[in-house]
Amino acid sequence: MYKSIDEINERIRDGSVRVATAEEMPDIVEELGTAGALKEVDVVTTGTFGAMCSSGAFFNFGHPELPIRMEKMYLNGVEAHAGVAAVDCYLGATQESETLHSDYGGAHVIEDFISGKSVELEARAKGTDCYPRKTITNEFTLDELNQAIMVNPRNSYQCYSAATNMGSRPIKTYMGYLLPGHRNITYSGAGCLSPLPNDPTYSVIGSGTPLFIGGANGIVIGEGTQHSPGAGFGTLMTTGNMKEMSTDFVRAATMTGYGVTMYLGIGIPIPLLNEDIVKQTAVRDEDLVTEIVDYGTPSRDRPVIRKVTYAELKSGSVEIDGEEVRTSPVSSFKKAREVAAELGRRIENGTFLMGLATRPINAVKRNRPMAEKGNTVYVSELMETKFVTITGQESVKEAAKRLLVGETNHLPVIDSENRVIGIVTTYDVSKAFANDEQDLSVAEIMTRNVITISPDSPVDFAARALQKHNIGSLVVVDKNRRVLGLLNSYDLGDLVGRRG
Amino acid sequence: MKLKVEFDRVGIQEPSIAKAILETGIAANIERAVIDGDEGWTLISVADEETERFIAALSRPGVSIRIQKNAVSHNVTECVDCGLCISICQKKVFSFDEDWKLRVEPERCVLCGRCAEFCPQRALSILK
Repeated sequence: MYKSIDEINERIRDGSVRVATAEEMPDIVEELGTAGALKEVDVVTTGTFGAMCSSGAFFNFGHPELPIRMEKMYLNGVEAHAGVAAVDCYLGATQESETLHSDYGGAHVIEDFISGKSVELEARAKGTDCYPRKTITNEFTLDELNQAIMVNPRNSYQCYSAATNMGSRPIKTYMGYLLPGHRNITYSGAGCLSPLPNDPTYSVIGSGTPLFIGGANGIVIGEGTQHSPGAGFGTLMTTGNMKEMSTDFVRAATMTGYGVTMYLGIGIPIPLLNEDIVKQTAVRDEDLVTEIVDYGTPSRDRPVIRKVTYAELKSGSVEIDGEEVRTSPVSSFKKAREVAAELGRRIENGTFLMGLATRPINAVKRNRPMAEKGNTVYVSELMETKFVTITGQESVKEAAKRLLVGETNHLPVIDSENRVIGIVTTYDVSKAFANDEQDLSVAEIMTRNVITISPDSPVDFAARALQKHNIGSLVVVDKNRRVLGLLNSYDLGDLVGRRG
Repeated sequence: MKLKVEFDRVGIQEPSIAKAILETGIAANIERAVIDGDEGWTLISVADEETERFIAALSRPGVSIRIQKNAVSHNVTECVDCGLCISICQKKVFSFDEDWKLRVEPERCVLCGRCAEFCPQRALSILK
């Protein structure tokens, strides 16, 4: 049995359409089989509501009496890209205010517009014969703009890696606050209710597919940036009219220590045209596998701690190394359900029709990482491999001698297997001498909290660590914390010379 | 029940908490304490039925005591029920109800303030 889009739209128009949510589909298919479900259900609604950083909007302000070609422009102090003509701009959701920084950004401007507030525009131009004006300051509400069109390069990830932190210090990420020693896990996405897991073959979702975006009836433009369906990480580029949006489904947010982002509700209806499509919408959270990765490692290829299903993530805790670790979402499942429900109401009311895609979306490609053209320098290239060490049992006096012999300011303290257990500096040793404590053991005066780094880390990361902890030297260690060398802040000076 | 106990420069000089515990034999749990030379505060939890007796034993000049009830203020208009706070808070103040709506149990709070700092919607604040 097959159904056509026209048949389904006919049912939407006459009010006889039968809608189910993607959450309800697995049980429906289990009960009726795929043929039965195809007969009983016409459209499956999906929904997701989460942080979608790669979002923004085009605005057109209309031409003033003395025309201007805006070149630098700010909306409530947030810079918008004015490199389009002449009273157009694109405001990115994560762009931060020049004065309020991460407390206010592009997403907040978008939310303020949608909530009916007035937004201040400030623009500068060089002035030309055809556009003589050089500055303008004006206030606008959303109604007063000619267009306010949300165009989002990357929304609605098919699935997203869950985050934990295996490191020894807390970190602030776009996945939230991650406690040290993997004491929490955060994840994003609505699992089986999300749009793309219900059509991973892009059988119905393509360019031109109607979607619900932020409260508006919009469309899928096509594949999103970083679209990588071959790896299970498909994305969509989307658009919708901001004038139809509601703050119920668009919310500005700040991830502390990371920056501004925008929470957005997106729902895509899946018209059930054949049994293959029905089968795909029967996906359960148990079938959706993602990875828990260590955000404590600040590199692109973060170590995978384990595989996990959305069912486990949603259960509230997941086991890592025999310990139950609490999980929590970054996205809102309650809001995702509201998106799917509102989309269903519109279909049932006859205000949201189905449409066939005009162009297919590639369902197999993989995203390429950035290939840096020979500019990355690693710690192993700059570290000092001639170094002296000391053990914790030796005396402070011995440490002083060792520092002098090694002509160094930093002395890693090692155990019998050459693993670093602490560090003493010339400062620590001088202080001990000044206090007549030269007979103490090194273990008694050493700093136990040693800041270490791997030889494979880029030096930029080393520079950040030196600055963050306000120290002069990092101990370079292998996976077993065995000392390989020292990276001193003055070693980075060589790098500047080399680059210059 | 949790008691927010504040000491002024007089109250801080006496071992008031130790005395109250010894006098009443109540196993009070000090959940947080910020105390220095001339003032300080602490959060003490005691069993509900023993609260009154413990307050009586702890009451003296320079010590002010109040029962902490609504330490966490949850703005339901701003909140989108994402639940990010749930795993950040190790005191289990936050959880989901059966409809994935955020549930807040402020009586568990020890005033660390982390939830308020990291709530993406700025929907949480701590009333100290």
